[in-house]
Amino acid sequence: MDKKKIPVSAGRIAVKVDDLTVAYNYKPVLWDIDLEIPEGVLMAIVGPNGAGKSTLIKSILGILKPIAGSVSIYNQPYEKQRSLVAYVPQKGSVDWDFPTTALDVVMMGTYGSLGWIKRPGQKEKKAALEALEKVGMLPFKGRQISQLSGGQQQRIFLARALVQNASIYFMDEPFQGVDATTEIAIINILKELRKAGKTVIVVHHDLQTVPEYFDWVTFLNVKKIATGPVKDIFNDDNLTKTYGINYKVSIQE
Amino acid sequence: MSSAQIEIQLIASVVAIACAIPGTFLVLRKMAMISDAISHSILPGIVIGFFITQDLNSPLLIFLAALTGIITVVLVEYIQKTGLVKEDTAIGLVFPTLFSIGVILIAKNANDVHLDVDAVLLGELAFAPFDRLLIAGADVGPKALWVIGSILIISVILLIAFFKELKVSTFDKGLAASLGFSPAIIHYGLMGVSSITTVGAFDAVGAILVVALMIAPAATAYLLTTNLKHMLIYAICFGVFSAISGYWLAHSLDASIAGSITTMLGLLFLAVYLFAPTKGVIAVMYREKQQRTEVSLLTFLLHLRNHTEERERHVNHLNEHINWQKVRSKTVLDLALKNNMIKFDKNIVSLTEKGNNFTSQAIDYIITNEDSKIEHMKEDFFLFRG
Repeated sequence: MDKKKIPVSAGRIAVKVDDLTVAYNYKPVLWDIDLEIPEGVLMAIVGPNGAGKSTLIKSILGILKPIAGSVSIYNQPYEKQRSLVAYVPQKGSVDWDFPTTALDVVMMGTYGSLGWIKRPGQKEKKAALEALEKVGMLPFKGRQISQLSGGQQQRIFLARALVQNASIYFMDEPFQGVDATTEIAIINILKELRKAGKTVIVVHHDLQTVPEYFDWVTFLNVKKIATGPVKDIFNDDNLTKTYGINYKVSIQE
Repeated sequence: MSSAQIEIQLIASVVAIACAIPGTFLVLRKMAMISDAISHSILPGIVIGFFITQDLNSPLLIFLAALTGIITVVLVEYIQKTGLVKEDTAIGLVFPTLFSIGVILIAKNANDVHLDVDAVLLGELAFAPFDRLLIAGADVGPKALWVIGSILIISVILLIAFFKELKVSTFDKGLAASLGFSPAIIHYGLMGVSSITTVGAFDAVGAILVVALMIAPAATAYLLTTNLKHMLIYAICFGVFSAISGYWLAHSLDASIAGSITTMLGLLFLAVYLFAPTKGVIAVMYREKQQRTEVSLLTFLLHLRNHTEERERHVNHLNEHINWQKVRSKTVLDLALKNNMIKFDKNIVSLTEKGNNFTSQAIDYIITNEDSKIEHMKEDFFLFRG
């Protein structure tokens, strides 16, 4: 973690999204999103199913192509700033029966800094092992990934993002299908990242834990409803605007 | 062995290796059907290439055929992207169309030349040694060996150079994209290699059976390992083994070589499917039986712990109380005795100290929702498994 010198919340904008519109088969999933994420926040993106939360992350990362709008990371296009960004996809997006080990999956996080063709060596292996140690998965390094529990798989994904040693972390529902202990372990790591001056952006489902876990929040439902500090904008008004009048039902789910 | 026999086995083995490499990734990407589609739809490419070059081994022909292979993939993806039909339907629409164009082209224009549907579909390995490559008048070996050998060398170089990219984009497309390894480039690269290999191999095993050489060795290897590199090596070994044993099967039965190779692939897969140590059908059945007995044992021990009254723990009543068949009760009772978990006292069963420890630990794990830990606990307690 050599980027600690960047002052926390110095008012810099880590991620800037301008007029972003994304559509599947010409049906808009995200509509004219303007969003500024300040550096050093631990931000939740909340919204109902189909609100475009994952789509927003994926289009920031260039995995999906928007039909309009632009994204910048520290004032530069994403392609130039790849090395500053790490991504934790939804656990369900990969085939866990793939013949590979926990350590190998974490090693994949180092591929970006290596670039094409170059192979990972001792330095990358050390970084991967350290990341495994950090998430408490070192004893499982040789385990085939299908033989890990859901929570362990999520930790492996987290370790893979940590090894990228990025400044901005995007995570798509990291708490999905994990037990309470793992959830606490993950959130502690995320809080540590924020302390180190990193920006962490998490697609989140559990509204009840938002005030406890996060300091920044974005309400999203196809359009952006609101974004800002949790203590200022996490209120009934915005929740109703995002989830409709019945949002309390969705909290209780 | 005559030199022709050695050459045939050599060609078959090289084809098998060349097919196993892209095949492994096709299986892992769940794209086995795409290789089937490619193998059919390269026919028009081969035919058109043949009209232009009049040579079945010309590089231009291979290039044109590979191009049709890529076109197939693009068309399938295009139709699928409209959202009107699913992927398998799209495959089923594209390749018969392209294939039939090839069939018509042959029927209309190639009746009088050496190019018939059978030759393309089934291949004839036995004739491969007759077609020699002459360089400055000197015989340097069968042409087919040079063609498929060059293809193999290229795919091995590509595999070594892009192994990490192939792995990450196969496992996690999203991550690959965010790291800057365009999944599309890798995807079409793999499709290109698969197409070229298919074309190169059709001389030896025919365009249809090449599917077997791509998919079967990789599918067999998948059952045996949890390591991508090992999977590649196993797939190559299975391919070569089937190629050589298939040749000798054909030799003794006086049957088609390609057919015999594919039969060997099928038999090999069947054997591994049944007997693979962890993923095989028999191993899974055995494990399930073991699990069942051990769960029964735990239930039984819990019952003993919960009931202090002697009536509930009398041997004759246990059957009715837990409602198990005689055989099962006996298995469970035996297992408990073998592991020193219970003791008998005038037909009254009770837990030993060890049985008591085991049961209370197990309950702790069950109520704290950490069932998975019971497996490790068994290692500590069981002298014999169920």
